[in-house]
Amino acid sequence: MSDVSPTLRVGASLLGLVIAGAAFGAEHPDFTGVWGNYRAPGAAAPQRGAPQAPLPLRPEAKAKVDAYHALVDPLGDTPGGHCLGTGMPGSMLGSGGYPMEIVQHDNIILVVFEAHAEIRRIYLGEPAKAEDLFPDRNGYSFGRWDGDKLIVETAHLKEAVDQGRYPHSENAKIVEEYSLAVNDDGAKVLTSKMTMTDPDFYTQTITAEKKWQFQPGVRLLPYECNEPAWEEHLERLRQGQGNTG
Amino acid sequence: MKRFLGAAFALLFAPCAALAHHSAVRFDLTIRDNMVSGVVKEFVPANPHTKIVLEITDEKGTRDVEFEGHSRNNYYRAGWRDGMVKVGDKITLIAAPTRDGSDGGYALGVIAADGTRF
Repeated sequence: MSDVSPTLRVGASLLGLVIAGAAFGAEHPDFTGVWGNYRAPGAAAPQRGAPQAPLPLRPEAKAKVDAYHALVDPLGDTPGGHCLGTGMPGSMLGSGGYPMEIVQHDNIILVVFEAHAEIRRIYLGEPAKAEDLFPDRNGYSFGRWDGDKLIVETAHLKEAVDQGRYPHSENAKIVEEYSLAVNDDGAKVLTSKMTMTDPDFYTQTITAEKKWQFQPGVRLLPYECNEPAWEEHLERLRQGQGNTG
Repeated sequence: MKRFLGAAFALLFAPCAALAHHSAVRFDLTIRDNMVSGVVKEFVPANPHTKIVLEITDEKGTRDVEFEGHSRNNYYRAGWRDGMVKVGDKITLIAAPTRDGSDGGYALGVIAADGTRF
């Protein structure tokens, strides 16, 4: 070894680090990248407003959800129309048809949705203490690897009757199972199988599946949504109309 | 150009993506071939929806009419780029009309002054 030049030694060390890094990185599938809605070859575009199977809501929950829809549906109001992020499980099940970007680290996975620049953080290290958490539209997500699958458990959600498909109570718990595959057509597909348990709202467990397709070369666009409202507010101030916000 | 037309076509016929934030209750989205031309008074590409004001002249006279459009991001992916639509341009909208027949509509697509479609 003493005959080996310092340059070669450094090179060998660096090569070892690279190989070790690659081996470490290969321990789990890498979800990093931009993903868009998957559509099977030849499949028709999903139509908005298509009939959906009724949900097994408890009567009290159904009353809440119906009251919400009676309030907003005549006007066409939605949270997104008012620049509010979707929240779980809608964010992961569609996010308005916009792409999402996953940034994967060893101790955290960031899921950045283009719509509303909404972010989910999936923690992989030590879970936070329950007393340090508070309810949020996306809740608190903690993940673990099970072989090639990523299992994510989400709780600490806010009650959300405004979810487009699956409204839920604050006690809802969501488990997602992510897996990566390459289809026969060559498409790299990320599949999420979701199970939502919410005895406050539902008489049975809710399940859903979502597929995303890898979109190399696509970049997420900025999604400022409140800017026009801010500009209008400034204009009112300039015109001396006071604080209308 | 082929790629652009493909993107524009996809936008026109992908209501789920395009209408992510709107129940479109005001607009009759079953009508997808209604063309409205006018002079741009305002074009504000924004999220969740773009604002377009055209000066329109027809049998009702000349007036400013406001349209709602897809999000800036969806227009971008369909080919719109900054500066493509300017105040004073004569453009055409492919606009789903309002359900009650009043002025306005939902701009499913835009044909810019130079003929570019998005």
